Amino acid sequence: MKKYLYIIKTQIIKSMTYEFNVYGNIVMQTIIMITSSYFWKALYRNQNSAAGVNAEDMLTYIIMSSVLSVLLITNVERRIEQSVGKGTVATDMMKPVNLFGVYFAEDIGSILALVFQNMLPILLIGSLLIKVPVMKDSGDLPLFLLSVLLSFLINWLIAALFGMIAFTAVNISALIQVKKHLIRLLSGSIIPIWFFPESVSKVLSALPFIYIYQLPLSIYIGRGSRAEHLAQLQIQFVWLLILAGVFVAVQRQVTRKVMVQGG
Amino acid sequence: MKRTVFQELRHYLDVTAQVIRMAVLTVFEYPSNIAGWLISNPLQFIMGFAIIKFVVESFGEINGWNYGQLAVLYGISVISHALSMIFFVQGWFMGYFVIEGEFDRYLTRPLGVLYQFFFTNINIFGITDLIPGILVFVYGCMKCGLQITWFFVIQVIVMLIGATLIRGGIYILLGSTSFHTRSAVDFGQYTQEIMDKTTMYPISMYPEGMQFILTYLIPIGWVSFYPVSGLLGIENGVCNGFVVSFITLAVGVLVMLIAGAYFTAGLKKYESAGN
Amino acid sequence: MIDVNHLSKDYLLKKKAPGLKGALKGLIHPQFEVIHAVRDLSFHIDEGEIVGFIGPNGAGKSTTIKMMSGILTPTEGSVRINGENITEHRKTVVRNIGVVFGQRSQLNWDLRLGETFELLKHIYEIDPIDYENTLEVMDGILGIRELIDKPVRQMSLGQRVKGDLTASMLHSPSVLFLDEPTIGLDVSSKFALRRFIKEINQIRKTTVILTTHDLGDIKELCERLIIINHGVMMEDGKLSQIVDRIAPYKTLVAEYYDEQAPEHEKCEMTFHEGNIAKYRFMKKDITAAELIADLSRQKEIKDVSIEEAGIDDIIKIAYGSGSIL
Repeated sequence: MKKYLYIIKTQIIKSMTYEFNVYGNIVMQTIIMITSSYFWKALYRNQNSAAGVNAEDMLTYIIMSSVLSVLLITNVERRIEQSVGKGTVATDMMKPVNLFGVYFAEDIGSILALVFQNMLPILLIGSLLIKVPVMKDSGDLPLFLLSVLLSFLINWLIAALFGMIAFTAVNISALIQVKKHLIRLLSGSIIPIWFFPESVSKVLSALPFIYIYQLPLSIYIGRGSRAEHLAQLQIQFVWLLILAGVFVAVQRQVTRKVMVQGG
Repeated sequence: MKRTVFQELRHYLDVTAQVIRMAVLTVFEYPSNIAGWLISNPLQFIMGFAIIKFVVESFGEINGWNYGQLAVLYGISVISHALSMIFFVQGWFMGYFVIEGEFDRYLTRPLGVLYQFFFTNINIFGITDLIPGILVFVYGCMKCGLQITWFFVIQVIVMLIGATLIRGGIYILLGSTSFHTRSAVDFGQYTQEIMDKTTMYPISMYPEGMQFILTYLIPIGWVSFYPVSGLLGIENGVCNGFVVSFITLAVGVLVMLIAGAYFTAGLKKYESAGN
Repeated sequence: MIDVNHLSKDYLLKKKAPGLKGALKGLIHPQFEVIHAVRDLSFHIDEGEIVGFIGPNGAGKSTTIKMMSGILTPTEGSVRINGENITEHRKTVVRNIGVVFGQRSQLNWDLRLGETFELLKHIYEIDPIDYENTLEVMDGILGIRELIDKPVRQMSLGQRVKGDLTASMLHSPSVLFLDEPTIGLDVSSKFALRRFIKEINQIRKTTVILTTHDLGDIKELCERLIIINHGVMMEDGKLSQIVDRIAPYKTLVAEYYDEQAPEHEKCEMTFHEGNIAKYRFMKKDITAAELIADLSRQKEIKDVSIEEAGIDDIIKIAYGSGSIL
């Protein structure tokens, strides 16, 4: 455990090295957030509510979506790609720490740095320039935090699984893009899927993506009843179990393959 | 040895032909990549277009733009995006080139540095973005019942060149900051997200202050909104008629000139790698 | 041929403090310091010379060679090649220079070597006959033809260096810059590289400017050395002249039959233990033969040997990190 804590600390220091990146990211994310807020204000200009959500709630939704996106940055897929691409994966796996544990710790470290460098500034800027994103029902807070935790894990597992494709196909950069677009468009991070037609949103409810963004955000803005949220949390949890199971199975197979072939 | 402009141009075209040849050969060196990009890029834009359709269905027209008109706007936005991906995507990664000292090579060769930076890394795969763009554009034109004349085609080509130059210029401006900051920043994803919101939807839906910025300061409005509203005859409050495509081209050239000057100034501060 | 006038280069370097606290400090209030990488260098290089730049890591030799080849813009001063300022007329001047930078290759990683050559042929507008001639010469020196259809990613480091050397010579430049070219190479590749430098210098009268840490490179190649440390020129001249200037003395080691050793007024005894004594003498004061004759007149000598300052000692002294005493 100490080793992983050390990795986390090192990663935090690394993330702070380039001050320009930090400030640049804040500026860019602020621009995106403000543009989104105007976008929704314009759409809501002629109506008070659409799909059971009003403009104010939608603004809260997009601010919290920006805030949440900070927690959902992963680097594990690229790290796997590099390790396989450079052919160092066999020696990496021989080290007395679990390789995927290292990548997980690195991602945690980056995120911890980003909480201060990025998430809090964005929350502050959003509150000052757009609106204070107050939670609809503070009684839902435990539920919200639980679903954020699950969404972080689901997101990380999906990233790790996409990364592991690198063990079969040589170059996965195109697939990493596919994954990015799938999550961007199907998770409700930009546009919640309740604006999609009934049939499409039914299909998407069965896929893991909306449990990354839309579920925690729906709880936050209080769209739907607590019973609905609990039901969705169960699906979210099931997806976590499925992905974790697949991850463990794939990891075992990959490790065996690498150990036999030496990468 | 004094050379004429014509000789210079021929030299650059000659090198470009070889560079494209090498890019195509490289594509076929890694066939497994082709499938990935063929799926990834069209998927992104087809899903993006579906989302616009759903938004229009939920909210009705967007600032007076109907579905067909939005399709034309989206088409121009995606086609110019695709062209900028082919020629200028390296701008997103300029920071890595600066940090890794990759400009050394370009500086010791008798061609423009910016030309080499973009063209020796030309991204043939960008073509996969073109296909969905053209499909949606043609679909939108049919929905709007537009007459496809020679003049129409010329206007579209001129506005696309202008739009691509504006995008490319913005990538260069952002990338060139790395010369001053010495950091490998990659704002590509953010840039694209902002560009998506401001070129796939009419900017007239945004507040006036923002419209002003997007028209005169960071001229993203000229990438799709102004030329397409000119093409469709939608009043945009700044300028209308066939002249808009040509203004778009002029804006593109201007942005490129400014970006080129900023890049050249940055290159003077280039520190290579090592030491 | 090459004129370097009062050349200086400053860098801004971000100060880094250790630990989490240091990282946070650097984030909120970054501190910079000015590094004077190169300070007021002036020298002249004639056509056909082979000049070696040596100095410890961070001495400024790479910075100098990068300014000379047009990569870095000098903070002050100028570099002129064939009379033209490289900063002002980069595109014209670089047609006459070739560059090989140690571990950075200019070869296209994904394609066969010949594709990179083809690209360079277009970039430098090389006449097909000249191109074939150069390739012929390079094949003679490096055996390049058997590599030309091989994808670069499948090549060994030694083969890639051969590819890079050929690539740098395709347009027949009059000056060739090499930054630590032998780094990481095996013995036979080093040999090939040194032979390459000697032969292009003889056959094509190419001026060669290289930086190196390798004593073998210096001994075998460099007729002239420029020693740089802390961005300042320490020495400039022929290897033998530098040796004479820095270490104008030799040491005579004499073994006697007993522990008694005589003194001599023109030299200094630096060591005496048992039957062995060491005498350091200035070459201008006395020759070794005279000294041996004088000493043996006083006392019978069993054995003698003469120690001279080696290149490595000279370099140590020039770098200021060692002493011959």
